[in-house]
Amino acid sequence: MIEKGKIWKFSGVILIVYVIIAGLLIPLKSGIESVEPSYGNAGETLKIQVIGYNTHFKEAGNSLRAWLKWENGKAIAATEMVALDERRMNLTFSIPNNLPENTEVQAVTLLIDSETDGTAVLPSAIFLTQTEKVLAAEEVPWVKPEDFSNNGQITFPFRNILGETIRNTYFHVPLWFGMMFLFLFAVIHSIKYLRKGDAESDLKAEAYTQTGIFYGLLGLITGALWAKNTWGAYWSWDIKQNMTVVALLIYAAYFILRASFEDPEKRARVCAAYGIFAFSTLIPLIYVIPRLTDSLHPGSGGNPAFGSQDLDNTMRMVFYPAVIGFTLFGFWLSSLQFRYLRLQKLREDLD
Amino acid sequence: MKDLHFILLLLRKEFLLEFRTRSAISGIFLYVISTLFVVYETFVKIQPNVWNTLFWIILLFVAVNAMVKSFVQEKGNRVLYYYSLLNPSHVFIAKIVYNTLLLLVLSLLIWGLFIFFGDNPVKDMGLFLLILFLGSFGFSVTFTFLASLVAASNQSSTLLAVLSFPLIIPIILMLVKISAHALRLIQDTAVSGDLAILVAIDLLLCGVALLLFPFIWRD
Repeated sequence: MIEKGKIWKFSGVILIVYVIIAGLLIPLKSGIESVEPSYGNAGETLKIQVIGYNTHFKEAGNSLRAWLKWENGKAIAATEMVALDERRMNLTFSIPNNLPENTEVQAVTLLIDSETDGTAVLPSAIFLTQTEKVLAAEEVPWVKPEDFSNNGQITFPFRNILGETIRNTYFHVPLWFGMMFLFLFAVIHSIKYLRKGDAESDLKAEAYTQTGIFYGLLGLITGALWAKNTWGAYWSWDIKQNMTVVALLIYAAYFILRASFEDPEKRARVCAAYGIFAFSTLIPLIYVIPRLTDSLHPGSGGNPAFGSQDLDNTMRMVFYPAVIGFTLFGFWLSSLQFRYLRLQKLREDLD
Repeated sequence: MKDLHFILLLLRKEFLLEFRTRSAISGIFLYVISTLFVVYETFVKIQPNVWNTLFWIILLFVAVNAMVKSFVQEKGNRVLYYYSLLNPSHVFIAKIVYNTLLLLVLSLLIWGLFIFFGDNPVKDMGLFLLILFLGSFGFSVTFTFLASLVAASNQSSTLLAVLSFPLIIPIILMLVKISAHALRLIQDTAVSGDLAILVAIDLLLCGVALLLFPFIWRD
């Protein structure tokens, strides 16, 4: 049987294993990768080629349906659908003479629905231009896209720029959550040390800070890889990237400060004070200043906040366990590091 | 009332010590002049946006050099004497007030020399003076507190720079942003919000430092 005190460690490991398996193996929902050409004119017969992602156009056969939908809700159905293979399909639309909105160029959303794949959506797939103000009036067969199929599979959402990298949500983000929890515990132990003067609290604060920095570095690396794939560069001088480097510098200075003391009692006291002071500057650094400037990250500069837009229910089933799992695992790492530091200190005392 | 009395006494002591030696102020004065000479010799003409950054960076380095001595003189028997006599919070408040005033004078000096050697790109004088004060206060809190840590470690002044530069970044970012507004480099309607954030950061750091200082002082 597992000892009582070890349950949280095992649950941390189990959660991480679950996150790795589920996070990497659950497929993405089918989506539309690109449309060629992506523009057209009012009144013409528009032929487009669609490239899908994780789609089964051939297999879907007769259950395939496709629409172009305007923002005001009006939509037209495809007049012809030819599946070339599982990922490529030719669609034909007859664009009405008078476009339903008032602007000269109107963006329309492409929807493709089938029983095998469910519904795939590409917003602003095609830009339609109304060249002359009024062409001959006509009877437009407006339809309302409905009766969407549900293939019942468990999938992660497909987002155009993100693609498969959406899985990084379960690693990059929980690592930051874990880091903040670890730094928070480091502060709690620093405060404990200043109140009680117990040497073990000082070592615990050091261990939590070390694992916190480790998590921060991992968060930075996973973030840089993600940025390379979505923003195009490992480092974009994004405000959040910069501020986290500053945060890590602050904590790196903590260890330089530790190294510059001979007397352990004095070292513990001064470093505890520095740790608390450093943590209080993290709050403006990570939570206030990045919100004032434009950022490529979600949640600032007009990007949607981290919320219902970014997480669907399937993702939540992996994301929340990931946060808990990585945090528990971080605590386990810290307790191992603490025991190592304690043994090291014991040996120094013996020498 | 008694607290105020002690703080004023300590403040008087700081000013007296400075007035007797004039070492800090004259050393820093020369430092400022030679830095500005180097800057103007190398840049020749300074654009307002460069001026903005340069001003705060020079002030940052001046502050480090001025603050590092804060606790160096408080060593040995004299500390023991103070310790038996004084409340650490009083010592810290007096140091912060003194250092804020010193930095405010120094920043006005830098500003004056900038005007003397070049020109004055500052359009909104009131706002600029306000952030000079808020900046001096924030720098003074951070550097004074960290100088007290460094003084406990018998280390060189580089340790102060290593510890303080990352910690000062939130303050200096806000300062540069608001001062860009005072120079009319950007038009921003949210300047009062930025000022509120700067005040909040200053007060947060001041509160935390005030709570922690007694633990450092206990030696």
